[in-house]
Amino acid sequence: MTQQGVDAPGPQGAAAVVEPAEGADGALERIRTLVRGQQFLLLIALVVLVVFFTIERSAFISQTEISNLLNDWSTVVLLAVGETFVIVSGGIDLSVGSTVTISGVVAAKVMGGMTGTSEPVILIVGLLVCIAIGLLVGAINVLLINVARLVPFVATLATLGAGAGFALVISGGAPVGADSQAIEFTTPKLWVFSWPVLAIIAIVVVSYLYLHYSRFGRFTFAIGSNRFAARAAGIAVKRQIAKIYMLSGLLAGITGMFYFLRLGSGAPTSGSGEELQAIAAVVIGGVSLLGGVGRLGGALIGAAILTVVTDGLVIINVNPNWNQVAVAGLIAAAAALQALRPGRGLTSSD
Amino acid sequence: MNENPPLLEVDHVTKTYFHVHALTDVSFSVRAGEVVGLVGDNGAGKSTLVKVISGVHAPDSGSIKLSGVEQSFRSPRDAIEAGVETLYQDSGLAPDLSIGANVFLGREKLLPGIRGKLGFLAQREMDVQAHADLERVGIAVPTGRSTVSELSGGQRQAVAIGRAIAWARKVIVLDEPTNHLGARQAGEVLEVIRAARSQGLGVIFISHTLPHVLEVTDRIVVLRLGRLVRDAPTSEFDTNSLLGTITGLIGGDRDPALEAT
Repeated sequence: MTQQGVDAPGPQGAAAVVEPAEGADGALERIRTLVRGQQFLLLIALVVLVVFFTIERSAFISQTEISNLLNDWSTVVLLAVGETFVIVSGGIDLSVGSTVTISGVVAAKVMGGMTGTSEPVILIVGLLVCIAIGLLVGAINVLLINVARLVPFVATLATLGAGAGFALVISGGAPVGADSQAIEFTTPKLWVFSWPVLAIIAIVVVSYLYLHYSRFGRFTFAIGSNRFAARAAGIAVKRQIAKIYMLSGLLAGITGMFYFLRLGSGAPTSGSGEELQAIAAVVIGGVSLLGGVGRLGGALIGAAILTVVTDGLVIINVNPNWNQVAVAGLIAAAAALQALRPGRGLTSSD
Repeated sequence: MNENPPLLEVDHVTKTYFHVHALTDVSFSVRAGEVVGLVGDNGAGKSTLVKVISGVHAPDSGSIKLSGVEQSFRSPRDAIEAGVETLYQDSGLAPDLSIGANVFLGREKLLPGIRGKLGFLAQREMDVQAHADLERVGIAVPTGRSTVSELSGGQRQAVAIGRAIAWARKVIVLDEPTNHLGARQAGEVLEVIRAARSQGLGVIFISHTLPHVLEVTDRIVVLRLGRLVRDAPTSEFDTNSLLGTITGLIGGDRDPALEAT
């Protein structure tokens, strides 16, 4: 044998290999508290905003307004969920806004041609059309990223433009279809919750579990953290990337159907700019644009903060054009907050 | 001397990139419980050889045998499944994941029953076993869910090596594992390599730091310009003769220059 007097490593040898640096446990604990504290701070910010708008106008927490807030939150939250998966994997999906538009427009066309069919059947067909369009856009993104090897920003910028263009062509620039019964679906049925909002909350909960507790989520974080390491560990990186962009497309398609329900028609620009709202929610929520770091809980609160600010400014009669300025301020504040985290901030200096 | 039968055999391997002969007819073997040093100047073919052994590249001709059985690796996954673990240069860890998540990366354990079928992770079990595995190979790491990015450079390298050793069933390839490490940390890595040897693994240790190679290996294989020029017990080398063999100042057994004449 070639032991050459080397004994099996005893516990003392083990301790010698990696001993935590002086006070490392305390430091780690502090860092963890800080990270946890970030979501906590977001939650406090949300509460402060709600309190502020309620003081300004007590109707802000009326049942009607809470129901409105939930509906508005639901229009952005699924996009934010999809975007969180994408951004955690180290990519970005700009195409979700026009996916919302085009799926709503096409579904409205299809549903408009189904006269004489019962309303539930029409709506189910509409939802399926939206899902199919969302998956189709996701598949095109996957082709551009995995096969044509475009960076996600460019690939999804292309599908963003193409989707918006198609939506205008198909709709002729005017709202498609008119379904006054559809709007009824988004009125509250269970306290402040409408059925679609409950369905969206259910999707959010399942997504949360999958991002943070499943192998699918683990692969997503691993790829965003170190793509080479993921591949070297035997993870099928391209297959996982494909699933992530398909998921983002799927959620955008479902959001397209939700827009149709709220508007009662397929509007040719309904999802315009929504991708930036979703990305803003994710960034405010503390998800690193560098990939590998983030909590979906943060993105959900980020979406809630955006919704509360946007609706709140309307309610207290501030010129809605200030809205964009307010959102920009939130993003800057969130980025500054992230800079407190070691190594992975959005600020340029580190 | 190590009398075990060869665990890994590199058999007449040749690899050409375009018109560059990265490896020409390289043959050597590693026995169970043996640490073989693989040294050579930049461009000598070390990295190419690592990639052939770990399934990243297929050889143009020649073969890799494990316990006498010829292998045809088409991906790193194939090599991993055959029992060959590779520590790539500059570590293949995901810094934002926990130690446990990194140790089990690509081989995650799922919960029992329906939750496992739905893809949910048995994280607690993985964390506990990861720490036990690392401790078994002589690596103590902070407990809890700290991410790898919170560890020092030496600790990260230790986790990467520990992961490779914990999973390796036959052979472990360590490409520059002591790079970027201080003297004390490098010494700890060498200790871990000895532990792997005592577990009966075959270890290939690639390094530019010749004192480390002389300290930890049983045998040294020297590559020069894609050819194997010397394969001899470590006791036959000292720093000067090893350096001379690497640079070509001292002719090897199978020196390309001699063969040419």
